[in-house]
Amino acid sequence: MGAIVCYRFWDDECVIYNQLTGETHLVDGMGVEIFKLISEETATRKQLRQNIESVFELETDLDIDGLLDNLILEYQKLGLLEVTEKTVR
Amino acid sequence: MKLARLSKKKVIQLLKTGGLRLKVGGFNVCLSSSVTEVADHLLCLYGHFDVVNNEDFIDFYTSIAPPSIVRRFFRAQINFSFDGYIPFKPLPYNQASAMFEWGLNWCIANYSHHYLVIHAAVVERNGQAFIFPGTPGSGKSTLCAALVCSGWRLLSDEMTLVSIFDGLVYPVPRPISLKNKSLEIIRNFSPDVIMGPVVDNTAKGAIGHVRPPDESVELGKNPAKPAKVVFPKYLEGSNTDLIPLSKSRSLLKVAENSFNYNILGFQGFNTAGDLINASDCYEFKYCRLEEAVALFTELAN
Repeated sequence: MGAIVCYRFWDDECVIYNQLTGETHLVDGMGVEIFKLISEETATRKQLRQNIESVFELETDLDIDGLLDNLILEYQKLGLLEVTEKTVR
Repeated sequence: MKLARLSKKKVIQLLKTGGLRLKVGGFNVCLSSSVTEVADHLLCLYGHFDVVNNEDFIDFYTSIAPPSIVRRFFRAQINFSFDGYIPFKPLPYNQASAMFEWGLNWCIANYSHHYLVIHAAVVERNGQAFIFPGTPGSGKSTLCAALVCSGWRLLSDEMTLVSIFDGLVYPVPRPISLKNKSLEIIRNFSPDVIMGPVVDNTAKGAIGHVRPPDESVELGKNPAKPAKVVFPKYLEGSNTDLIPLSKSRSLLKVAENSFNYNILGFQGFNTAGDLINASDCYEFKYCRLEEAVALFTELAN
């Protein structure tokens, strides 16, 4: 984790507090699963994708990589995730 | 000794010479003032509060006084000060008592960081604290006053103090501040209610204060366990509607309604999180007080 955060999971939602920014974020849906994984340990992009596929029943034509990219970017902007090494899709 | 045991003359004398020292919940407050109406306000609404001994520690040294001799007589004004610091602009002289109440709110909200201080009314029944966070106009004080008039214990109509150490809600029972229509609503709801003088034309409109029940003041040191967090909204013509709210969204709303959530950092988040964990959370729409009181009483039973 790139930031100092604490969090609470309730049902299919999660509230995350980032002490560096002082902001509190509400996350739901796919974002929760991603955050669960990265809050426990460092994960590769591939692991994140596998996790999403194992939890959600996704449409076959859904752009999972695009969704994942957006989530990672959003978490980076919020200081909740740090990309330590660029991976190739 | 209770304040009511003192004569008005003695209260005025104490206010003018060194200050009147009162126990307000877990705080000791010293108030100095040369304004006679402040003595009337205290005797009417704080009669059952304990007067603190001179040697006891004082949390807040406050005063209500005219800003200058000129302003005592010409377009008379008053200032609130805390430890000699004046946090607000002066107000018209006739708002002295209301200014004391607002000033004390300010002291508690800004200097009580061993609590998460939530802008919320809180009442208790059967050992369960019901917390009603809300912005001005949401109807939290009106609902609080109606519940208190119906036998619930008052912990606060304005600030819920959640300990960062044990998660319990600590009382600071003080007069319930009502505005405008709420004054008449509560007078009609409970004709026996003791209310101080109404001050018109404040920034918030007409303001009056309801005397806290003696039993609530007596229990001013006893904390309560949080049980429900309810976000009220008074809506003219609405049905009485209690709608469950997710814990995540409730935590965000508690954070928004807290005075010192960001100051406390992780402690603020964890205290709010523990509070939400321990509570059922709802949004609540109402306009009929009798129905609201019956609903919450049933919930507490």
